[in-house]
Amino acid sequence: MTPSEKSDQEIAVQMSERDRIGKGDHEKEEPFYAGQGRILEMIVTRAPLADILTRIVLLMEAQADGLRCSIQLLSNDGKRVRHGAAPNLPQAYVKAVDGLPIGPRVGSCGTAMYLKRPVVVTDVLTDPLWADYRDLAKSCGLQACWSTPIISSHGDVLGSFAMYRQEPRGPSAEETRLTEAATQIASIAIECQQDHIKLREREARISLAAESADLAFWVSYPEQNSVWMSEKGRAMYGFTLQEPLTRESLLSRIHPDERVAVEATFEQARASQRTFEIEHRIVPPYGKIRWVIARGRFLWDEHGNVLEIIGVTIDVSAQKQSDLQLQAQREELAHLSRVALIGEMTASIGHELNQPLAAIANNAAAARRFFDRGQIEPAILKQLLADIAAASHRAGEVINGIRGMARKGQSTRSPLNLNAVIDETLRLVGSDILIRETAVVTDFDSRLPGVEAAPVQIQQVLINLIRNALDAVETLAPAKRRIIISTSSLKGETAEVSVRDFGTGLPADGPEKVFDHFFSTKAEGMGMGLTIARSIVEAHAGTVGAENAEGGGARFFFRLPAAKGMPISKAA
Amino acid sequence: MRSEESAVCLVDDDPLVLNSLRYLLASDGIATRSFDNAETFLAHIKMHMVALVVLDIWMERITGLEVLTRLCVISPQTRVIVITARDDLAARAAAMQSRPLAFFIKPFGDEQFLAAVHDALEQTKKS
Repeated sequence: MTPSEKSDQEIAVQMSERDRIGKGDHEKEEPFYAGQGRILEMIVTRAPLADILTRIVLLMEAQADGLRCSIQLLSNDGKRVRHGAAPNLPQAYVKAVDGLPIGPRVGSCGTAMYLKRPVVVTDVLTDPLWADYRDLAKSCGLQACWSTPIISSHGDVLGSFAMYRQEPRGPSAEETRLTEAATQIASIAIECQQDHIKLREREARISLAAESADLAFWVSYPEQNSVWMSEKGRAMYGFTLQEPLTRESLLSRIHPDERVAVEATFEQARASQRTFEIEHRIVPPYGKIRWVIARGRFLWDEHGNVLEIIGVTIDVSAQKQSDLQLQAQREELAHLSRVALIGEMTASIGHELNQPLAAIANNAAAARRFFDRGQIEPAILKQLLADIAAASHRAGEVINGIRGMARKGQSTRSPLNLNAVIDETLRLVGSDILIRETAVVTDFDSRLPGVEAAPVQIQQVLINLIRNALDAVETLAPAKRRIIISTSSLKGETAEVSVRDFGTGLPADGPEKVFDHFFSTKAEGMGMGLTIARSIVEAHAGTVGAENAEGGGARFFFRLPAAKGMPISKAA
Repeated sequence: MRSEESAVCLVDDDPLVLNSLRYLLASDGIATRSFDNAETFLAHIKMHMVALVVLDIWMERITGLEVLTRLCVISPQTRVIVITARDDLAARAAAMQSRPLAFFIKPFGDEQFLAAVHDALEQTKKS
């Protein structure tokens, strides 16, 4: 017989011997409350559950002579006994009990778990509950067994704590008190571990889902100031797999330019109890800056405290890059076409400049001549100088207008009154209209909502539409060349600008085609102007359209969404 | 019967230019009458014998070219100096057909312009 094959009887004997020797045991010496404290510490530091339960059993056993204890757990399905801790019970007994179904007559433990109340068996040899396990108990030298269910904070059975004696009797007052303490601590230990497992399982599940969707997943626990993050997330944010994360370490990865906005978004989501979503850049300690979108929400407990913030982060760098490229290309194209437009307009721009220059030259010459004749009245001189100044100012405005058009990167948006922009644009193309002997009439809606747009770009759209209309009426007799530019408010949500000509109209099949690339009904037209007009309007979240107007001619229009919080403009 | 008009008529729809012409001629002792649109000038010339008109081409509604055409009928003896801020050959050719004395592109030199005005007035006296 090898030592490992000792009979249970022998072990039982050895146990009692050890018991006698064990009086001076470390466990025995340790004051009870100190032992309890150590166990709680193990729970907090997330020591393995088996170790914690063993420690509970040993602590209890140390409190009374000849006392043997065990902790049994209830299986996940709530139907069977599972071994928890029984360091000083015979292996055969432990093995036999592990996996037994719980029920009304299954020893002390199975019955206590089943009935959810303490079961005191003073003598297993006679008690009917032990009918099926009498021989087992007898062979292990156990005669009394008192078992108390371990109940969770929600009232569910987690397991049982049992005390065994080798003599038939009931528990003493001291033993009852110990049982209470043991079940309480065990309940905390088991519940903590179950919560922890649930949490890890949930995190693992979401993390798996997140990773397969190429997302980073994270959970922030504000109370502990700790952050859990999936592997993918750690890679995205540039954290190693092991380093502990806090709210601060997470924030440190957000681009400084967007940190305030991100925090504000979080705060807003917290206050409004809604989900948050924000686009920002991540600056990892190594590698490239990434553009990401972070989405998530806050979870509260029943008292309104934030339990956790869960979120996902999506890397949108590639998408962002192509968006930026597209925008740059669009701006470049718009700029080139503006420069081309100025080229086409040089004749009329020349007219606009030559008028004030002529006035300046004439006034200066007049002043000199008055002087030469030695007869100049101060009032006349004053008037001449004032007119020179006014003409210079006007010439300056013309030049500024052209320079604004020619300048690159004029995409900064500001609140605009479209009526005013139309007036300004008409001044710029005024002489073009004059030379083409066309009457342009404006009809402004004084309650037109303001829009948020890049002024130069909107001017460009208008110039394209106006020139298009001028071309459309060119073949008519001068008296019939008419263009109506009108604005209107659509339910106060949209501002519409319409340019209507009285030309030959558009092809009946799909007037919208005029906005397509290189579509032109004109002999020398490239057809790019309207395409660019459309791309500008669409970049402003607006729409363009073209249709044949009632009574002949074509109507081109574009619509821009009203800017939020901007007052409705009075007439330009 | 139209009454004699000794003043030079100025027609330009840009008030700054119109005023500058008035001062320029005044500095040379020439009396003028200003019109900021073609219609009122045409109405005026129906009632008055005008010796000389300084006429802008590109004006709203009725252009200088149209005024020139009508002048041939209403007042063929009136001399015309055409001014324009835009140098386009078509307009120049069209203007020349209606026998103007001079064609100036704004801005122009005061000496040449005043010389042209004096020439025109001289010829009117002779005829």
